[in-house]
Parts: sequence; C-alpha cells; structure tokens
Amino acid sequence: MRALFTLLFIGITLLSANVNVVTTYPYLAETVKAVGGDLVRVKTLASPKMDPHFIVPKPSLIPLLSRADLLVINGAGLEIGWLPPLLKRAHNPHIQPGSIGFVDGSQVIHLLNRPSSVSRAYGDVHPEGNPHYALDPHNIIPLAKLIAKRLAKIDPEHQSDYQTNLATFLTRWQTFLKAFDQRMQACQGKKVVQYHNLFNYFLKRYGIVSVGTIEPLPGIAPSAKHTIALIGLMKKEKIGMILQDVYHERKTAHFIASKTGADVVLLPHDVSAVEGANTLQNFYQTIAKRLCPSSK
Amino acid sequence: MKKIIVCTLFGAGMLYAYDNDIEQLNAKLDQQQMVIEKLQQRIDDLENSMQKPQQGLGAFDQTSFLPDIALITNMAVVARDVKNSAYATYQIPGFLDSPGEIPFNPNRGFNMNYAELEISSTVDPYFDVATALHIEKEGLHIGELFITTRALPYHLRIKAGKFKSEFGRINQKHQHVWNFSSQPLVFETFFGPAGLNDEGIQLHWNLPTETYLMAGFEAMQGGNARSFGSSDIPPLMLGYLKGSTDLTDTTSLLAGATYMHGRNPEGHTDIYGADLTLKSFLGSYSAVSWQSELLYRNKDGTGKQAGLYSELVYDYDQNWAVGVRYDTLFKNIDTQPDDLDRYTMMIQYKPFEFSKLRLQYTYDRSKVIDGVRRDIQEILLGLTIEAGAHGTHAF
Repeated sequence: MRALFTLLFIGITLLSANVNVVTTYPYLAETVKAVGGDLVRVKTLASPKMDPHFIVPKPSLIPLLSRADLLVINGAGLEIGWLPPLLKRAHNPHIQPGSIGFVDGSQVIHLLNRPSSVSRAYGDVHPEGNPHYALDPHNIIPLAKLIAKRLAKIDPEHQSDYQTNLATFLTRWQTFLKAFDQRMQACQGKKVVQYHNLFNYFLKRYGIVSVGTIEPLPGIAPSAKHTIALIGLMKKEKIGMILQDVYHERKTAHFIASKTGADVVLLPHDVSAVEGANTLQNFYQTIAKRLCPSSK
Repeated sequence: MKKIIVCTLFGAGMLYAYDNDIEQLNAKLDQQQMVIEKLQQRIDDLENSMQKPQQGLGAFDQTSFLPDIALITNMAVVARDVKNSAYATYQIPGFLDSPGEIPFNPNRGFNMNYAELEISSTVDPYFDVATALHIEKEGLHIGELFITTRALPYHLRIKAGKFKSEFGRINQKHQHVWNFSSQPLVFETFFGPAGLNDEGIQLHWNLPTETYLMAGFEAMQGGNARSFGSSDIPPLMLGYLKGSTDLTDTTSLLAGATYMHGRNPEGHTDIYGADLTLKSFLGSYSAVSWQSELLYRNKDGTGKQAGLYSELVYDYDQNWAVGVRYDTLFKNIDTQPDDLDRYTMMIQYKPFEFSKLRLQYTYDRSKVIDGVRRDIQEILLGLTIEAGAHGTHAF
C-alpha cells in the first residue's frame, strides 16, 4: 500500500515537475534546454532538413501542441505558412498568441532588412523584416533571457532555478562569443553569394558582404536570366563562394560555380541541419569552419 | 645641477604635453557639444512631428484591428463535346433524376465561376469569427459565417453558425484548394455543389493521446435538399472520428470514419463515410499524396447507394504538379446502372503560392442527356487567385 502511494507520489511529482515546452525550430529547443534544464520537457515541430518557411502541418504534430504549457516560436512571419492551422486545431488556450504560454522570439530582436513598402509583387517578403535572426549567435542572449523570464512566470516555484540556469548559460555563451567573434575577424570584408537571404544576420555581424541571391525574388525559383546576370556580377566582383542551404535544389549553385570557379559551401541554417551541428555552439562553429576556413 | 635641468626640462615638457592634451580635450568637448545639440534638435523635431497626430487625427484610429481580408476567384475556359443547352439538362441515373445546379464550369467557352470574399478576425479573447461571402452575378450570399471558441478547456472547441461540415476530407475545403476543378460525383449527387454546408453547431475534441485522435459532433438544420431536406427538429446529426500517425519521418497517414443521421420528406437518411489519406514528402517542395473517400447512403424513398473517389497527386516542385482521379458511383438502386464513373487528370502550374493555372482533362461516363447515356469529354484551363491576407491551408 505504501509502495503504491510512493509510486503515485513520484508519478505526480514527475508530472508536475516538468513544463511541457514546444518549439517550432531546433535552435529554440536548444536555448530552452539551456535555460530550463531538467525542469522542462522540450519537443520540436520542424525538421532542420526542411525549408523553415514550408514545414508540413502534419496532424501528428497537433497532440504536441495540445499538451504544451509553453510554445516558443521564431516569429517575424517565418511560421505563418504552417503553424496557424496546427495551432487552431490544437484547442489549447494556454499557448494561443497573446497568452502567457506563447513566446515570440522576434519580439526581442532588432530585425534586419525591414522593407519600407510591402507587396507580393516583390515575392515572399516579410513585412516584419528578415526572420532568419537565429544565424547571429549574439541573438541567443536576448532570446535566452526572454525564455527564462517566461518559464519563471509559468512555473514560479522554480523561478530561482531558471535564473541560476540563465546566469550559468550566459556566462558560458559570452565566453564562447568572445572567442568566436575573434575567430571570425579573419573573414571581414569577404564577399559571397547566397541562395536566399538566409545568412544575412551572420554575414552582417562579421562584416561579410552578400552580393546577391540565386533566387531572383524571395521565394521565387531561379530563372535563366537572373542566373546569367549573377554569373556576370560574380566574375566582375571576383566572388569565390556560394552559400547553399540544405533544402533548396543545388543544381543552380553548381552551375554558377562551374561558370565562375566559385566554391559551393553547404551551410546549416539551424541546429542539426548538417552532420556535426547538433548543439548551438557546434552549429555556429560549423558555419565558421565552412564559411571562413582560414579562421581557427 | 644636471639633475635639476633634467627635472625642469621634464617638468616643462610634461606641462606642455598637458596643455596640448587639454586643448585637444577642449576641442573634442566642443565637438561633442555640437553633436549633442544636433541630436537634441533631431529629438525635438521628432517629438514635434509625433505630437501632431495626437492633436486629434489618430485618436480613434482602429486600422490595426482590421480583419484579414482575402479575395479569391476562379475562372476557366472550357472545351466540351456537348452543347451548353444539352449539358444543362444532364441527369445521373438513380442519383440525380432532375437537372440540378451544375457545380462549376457549366458552359463550354468562358466561365467566371465565383469570387469569394473571405474575412476573418479574432473577436476577443474568447471568440474568432470567419466568413466566406460568395459574390455571384445575382448578388452576394453567405457561403459560410461562423464563430469558433478560443479558450475552452479540455481540448474542446465549439463552432457555430453556417459552415461546411468537417467530416471526411474534401467537404470542408473550398473549391480553390481542391486538386481538381470539379466536385467528386458522390459529393455532387449526395450534397450538391456547396457540399454539406448548413446552419448548425459543432463540437471538436482532441483526445489526450500521443497519436492524433479527434472526435467531432455536429448538429445541423438539415436543409440539404439532396439527402435530407427536412428543415425542422430533430436536426441532422453527424459524428466522426479522425486519426493520424506518421508511418516514417516523411510519410503520414490520416484516416477518418463518419456517420450521419437525418430526416428527409419520406423518412430517414443514414450516411456512412470513410476516408484515407497517405502523404509522403520527398523534400520541402515535393510530395506524393493519395486521398480517397467513400460514402454509402441509405435513404428512405430512394434506396441504398454508394460512391467513392480516389486521387493521386504528385507535387514535383513549388511550381508543377500532376494528378489523376477516379470517380465512381458503384452501387445504385435496382433497375438503375451501377457503372457510372469518371476519369480526370490534370497538370498544374503555380507561378507563385497565390495563383495557379490548371489544365484538366475529363472523361465522364456518368451522365444521361435526353434519356440516353452520353459519354462526355472535356478539356479545361482554369485560373485560381488568392489575393490579400489569406490563411494557410491545413494538411
């Protein structure tokens, strides 16, 4: 009888000790884990192998959202194409936009490339600005602070734990950033071409110049005319590197490379998008290693 | 002596250096002062310009509360081997005995099928509202208008108003999201061009399971003339269960079962439905999906009938897709044919997410015109546009 009660008690504490967190993308899950530690159970909706704009709203993701206490999203329109129908079907009032269990990371980030005017004639533009801010490792700091604050609100019993976790993580992250920023100085002023305006935050942070994109407009497939113009531009500007993501077709990049002698470099856009990028640190280090091989 | 001279020289040098430093510092301070003054000027200017709207113009500005508004339209040019006047009188033996409203593209030549104005908004913390207004040549009518709850506990959601029933797969979707431009025969004959779309109330419950399981219940007025048509209480009742599981990381299965019970002028109508969707993703922009739905109806005064459709669609990339569909009404009442079927194939090009062009070929063996079976062939080139703030389509 006593054993039964003990089991029941353990069961109840196990259930209540954990905050169920769902994040849209893997890098958000890593940040939540850093701040939440053992107090949170984290699940991620999107696969890092897929285009973050076009995640399939599989019904199997709905139960995760139904049970979540906290939903952490990237925001700035990145999820607009797939999350709303899932959220609508989750029937979970705790994580609806505007409620305490809904965290939009973009709210604490200064977004780049904010368009002064918006029309779909310009392709898939985000009125809020470029949503791929996860590519700048410095943005992890405000994000971690925001998540810690919200976790403390949802689970006030462990407020001090979240604060301690956050402090530990921030110290570790600042140390990492110091070394990382120094490392990236080796590539200041380098010029590259990318498929989509995906790596802008990283490039801007480290003074690397994005001269053009393979797609003519955001979200619109490469055209022959645009590709030829890009080849001309790359030859003129002597650009030796094309940044390719894991989810777009690679034929165009390789074609341009064969005409210009540039290298096609496959970069992760999120944690676990490529082999060996399975933590936040590894993720940024993989980008540094591939984008800036001269750095150490 | 030497020491004194050195010291004096050193002291003088230091003083000179200090003097120099101080001058430089002073110059810098002056510069900074100018910068500060300029910045202050800019702040003042900005504050001045910000204060202007507060003088009245923006005080009651509500533009940020505007609902999402989208304009959706579908048009097509059609070639068909039957005259328009004859096509308008087609029947489907046993299923559709008097000529009815033709779902889409009634004419060979040009068809402007509809324009739909979709407006949706969050009302308050407790309700969302959505409507689809059909703008037709004859006027405006309410396709759908419903509220849904936002804050119910226990994973419940209530919808109320006039809405498309969410049983099965295709009934809840509007024509502009269908993979083929025509309505499956079994839906056309059992429910008519708008599908099962009625005034009523709906309850959805997500079961607290690891896999997706959803139970739905609807009570509707029962105004749908083709299967029910008795607009008095007790209402038409529907129940359905949907479940989904991932067979692999990239393959999903979605299955559902439906039962509905209502009245028609000659007694009762029971309809049983089953649906199965299998979708496999080959990348971010490419997928193969196979979707089938079966409906079986037992209607007092008519008899037992059934039909199904099955469609296979391959999305090659963000722009191109191809698909084939088989449609059949395979069970009919006595003395009526049960080999009524239709074959449809299509190739689709989407220049961008919000527009699509579709070329569709149909071979139709389900129609009777002027009392004789008549096989019909049709080629159609259609354009669908979704402009404005349009919500994302579900799975």
